[in-house]
Amino acid sequence: MVIKIIEFIFSPFLAFIIGVFFLGLFRKIVARIHQRYGPPIIQPLLDVIKLFHQKGFSHGALFDLGLILSLAGSIVVVLFIPFGGICPLKSSGGLLVILYTMLFLPLGIALSGGEGANPNISIGISRKLILCLGYEVPFLLILLSTMSFYRTISIVDIVNSQKNFHWTLFSPLFLSGIAYFMILPAMLGMRPFDIVSAPQEISSGPAVEYGGKYLGLFHIQHSFSIFIMIALFVDLFLGGGENIFYFFLKMLTIFFIMVLIHSVFPRLRLEQALRYLWKWPTIFAFLGVIISKVVR
Amino acid sequence: MNLEILMITAFGGSFLTYLCGKVSSKVRDFFAVFISLILVVFISCFYGKSQTIHYFNFFNLPLILTINKLSWLFAIAVEVITALSVIFSLSYMKNKEKLDFYYFIMLVVNASMLGIVLSGDFLSFYIFWEIMSWSAFLLISYNRGPALKAGMKYIVMSIIGSICMLVGIISIYTSYGTLNISQISSQISSASSDYILLISILFLIAFGIKNAIWPFHTWLPPAHSEAPSPFSAVLSGILIKMGSYGFLLILYIIAGLNLFLELFIAHWVLCWLGAITLVISTFIALLQNDAKKLLAWHSIGQVGYIILGITFGTNLGFAGGVFHIFNHATFKSLLFLTVGAIEYRTRGVRDLNSLGGLIKKMPITFFGALVGACGLIGIPLTNGFVSKWLIYKTLILKGHPFLAFAALIGTWGTILSLYKFIHNIFLGQLPEKYKDVKEVPFSMQFPIVILSLIIILFGILPGIPLKVINSIAVSAGFPSLDVSIWGIASEKGALNMINIFATVLIALVLMRLVFQMGEKRTRISQDNNYAAGSYIPVDKYNYTVEFYQPLFRMIKPYFRDFVDEFYSKIVKAGRTLSDRTRKIYCGDLGYYVTYIVLFLVILIAIKLWGKVW
Repeated sequence: MVIKIIEFIFSPFLAFIIGVFFLGLFRKIVARIHQRYGPPIIQPLLDVIKLFHQKGFSHGALFDLGLILSLAGSIVVVLFIPFGGICPLKSSGGLLVILYTMLFLPLGIALSGGEGANPNISIGISRKLILCLGYEVPFLLILLSTMSFYRTISIVDIVNSQKNFHWTLFSPLFLSGIAYFMILPAMLGMRPFDIVSAPQEISSGPAVEYGGKYLGLFHIQHSFSIFIMIALFVDLFLGGGENIFYFFLKMLTIFFIMVLIHSVFPRLRLEQALRYLWKWPTIFAFLGVIISKVVR
Repeated sequence: MNLEILMITAFGGSFLTYLCGKVSSKVRDFFAVFISLILVVFISCFYGKSQTIHYFNFFNLPLILTINKLSWLFAIAVEVITALSVIFSLSYMKNKEKLDFYYFIMLVVNASMLGIVLSGDFLSFYIFWEIMSWSAFLLISYNRGPALKAGMKYIVMSIIGSICMLVGIISIYTSYGTLNISQISSQISSASSDYILLISILFLIAFGIKNAIWPFHTWLPPAHSEAPSPFSAVLSGILIKMGSYGFLLILYIIAGLNLFLELFIAHWVLCWLGAITLVISTFIALLQNDAKKLLAWHSIGQVGYIILGITFGTNLGFAGGVFHIFNHATFKSLLFLTVGAIEYRTRGVRDLNSLGGLIKKMPITFFGALVGACGLIGIPLTNGFVSKWLIYKTLILKGHPFLAFAALIGTWGTILSLYKFIHNIFLGQLPEKYKDVKEVPFSMQFPIVILSLIIILFGILPGIPLKVINSIAVSAGFPSLDVSIWGIASEKGALNMINIFATVLIALVLMRLVFQMGEKRTRISQDNNYAAGSYIPVDKYNYTVEFYQPLFRMIKPYFRDFVDEFYSKIVKAGRTLSDRTRKIYCGDLGYYVTYIVLFLVILIAIKLWGKVW
């Protein structure tokens, strides 16, 4: 019981730390590629603390609630994801529940931003939802291929079936893994898919009306979502992790590659992004589903 | 309590309401609400009972009323939704004309739907079915203008369906000599599979038209959007579910699912029809700019989920499909009522491009719309999530990833269009002309709040309805599901809504505390906004028109209503053909004599060379 409670408190906290660390690392790596020195790695954490001491402006009750809802949703998703042997909410519906609880993240921000009554936000959210539709097509196919490959909807079962280096990435489903890797930048909102925040076009989109602690919470939410997307990849295709350290190492590798991609690509337009997402990743994911049907 | 008294109350009440209207409008309003509420009480008295009554003999055909668990479940849904719609109508329909007629027909539709679910033989079923179709036509075309055209489309398709059903009923009668549903179901198992296929197809066309399955859906979008909003709620919530009831009747009681599953092709076709219905109509909904039309297309889409659930023939799928029927009744009625509330306060505006920012003026309506939208999307903690979860799980575990993919991607179409719905009505900048809009009166808030609470309650404690549905599934011959009050407790992939609810609640409280830790916030108005330093133009600082423009540009050519265009072409061709034929009758005697002579020549020619006789 005590261990369970510790798990419940520990895993969101750890996810937060890792997410913030990734954000700091992100700035550092990009700076080094630009041949700058870059801010210290704990800079995002310092930023959040600073933002909590600044005055915020609210547009109404939903403006606050939507952001809180999005954060709460991300914490709940973290509790569902196995993390190096820790999974506080094992038996509550599995991958389908994760998939649907993940909806809290964009929808919370969308509702909160909507009350901000700024067209920049509306454009940003409209782009975000379209981009979501874009990567959900391959993403859902990928999830379905793994679920029907292992004939279970429980993510813990999927992780357990991959023990001893029987990773899904090295199984007949490797095409699905490649497809996930190809859509990961879009899921993380990194370049070439930073269409949603696009600072030069729509003034950071959904974040434009956020200031003070709102912006701080928005950053925290972003760090959580980075953690969730990468952790899902590690769980589904890289065999989870025997312990927290291995899990973290796998996540770090994936994130590092993502940052490298981010720093060399320019931004795509939304149509270009959709065309890309609905072409190769979808074809690979589709083949993955067919393979999973043939193998089973 | 007797079923005859129930039906007499339902039909007699509607006539009395009409007569009361001649006395005074207050008495009529009161009486209509009274009748609809008393029917809710009556039906709830029947909980867990079964009764069969033989009430009339029609040329040696016994007419039977019967109630069992399945029909009880449908009856209570019919009554609750109708009662809430009638209460909603009190304010919504005020100051409109022909109100006696409106309430009369509303209650007749209600009574006939009750009759359909309580019928124990096909003759009463057919009679009540026709009463429902025709009275619904009268209400769909209540608003005149474009509504008349919508009603015409509806009634033509309905008649086609009824004729199919009639042929099926007559065929059953000539083969078995009885129309009693329970007798037929015991006799039909000996029939050949071809005969069962024929009967199934005939009935499935009839029910498919009412249920608006692709490609029989074309009547639904105009009918739903042109009907008065409280009746749209009834129409979308339960009237089209009579088709689903018919499906359940055919698949599980008449044909028997095992027989139907043997007809592999039929099963396969029905599943894929469900998937096509779901995807196409959800994405067409995304392209709509009329709030009610958007919801109407979603009604078609959700029917796809129901079909996917109930055709699969496992206890999980059955429970999911039947549960989704009721969930859809709750959240879709709720959404139509909220649109009605918006129409009521903005004097009939339901164009998504011209509204905005109403959340500050109508918070309760917004709450209703948000809960309804969450239910329709299937966000956890709403009832829609549980039923969709059951359906997805069935599809995945049965090894149909592509059907599951159709269902899941349909959800994303729903998210996009419902966010557009909420954003364009309630969020963004409030236009100047709606500065003085007020919240709707209590009689309109009441149904909205009740339905929202039902959605949330059944989302957190899905065991309450699932236990009833499970007992139906057991009586239809399925193994029992391991249902507990908080979800499904089967050993492989349990669903525990209480766990999810508790964690979401704790996380919300926690985040609220974190939020409180920060510096105090200041409330600012919508005009105090970031505009890169320039001033904010009144009424123009908004982004609603063409909300998903880049996506629209890509998908618009593929997501048109091709079926409707095809039907229109047929109608047009028929009209041209008739026009051409009419030209023969030019009114000139000389031509007519020519025709006669020509005809005789042809006859003689055939006689001479053809040697037919």
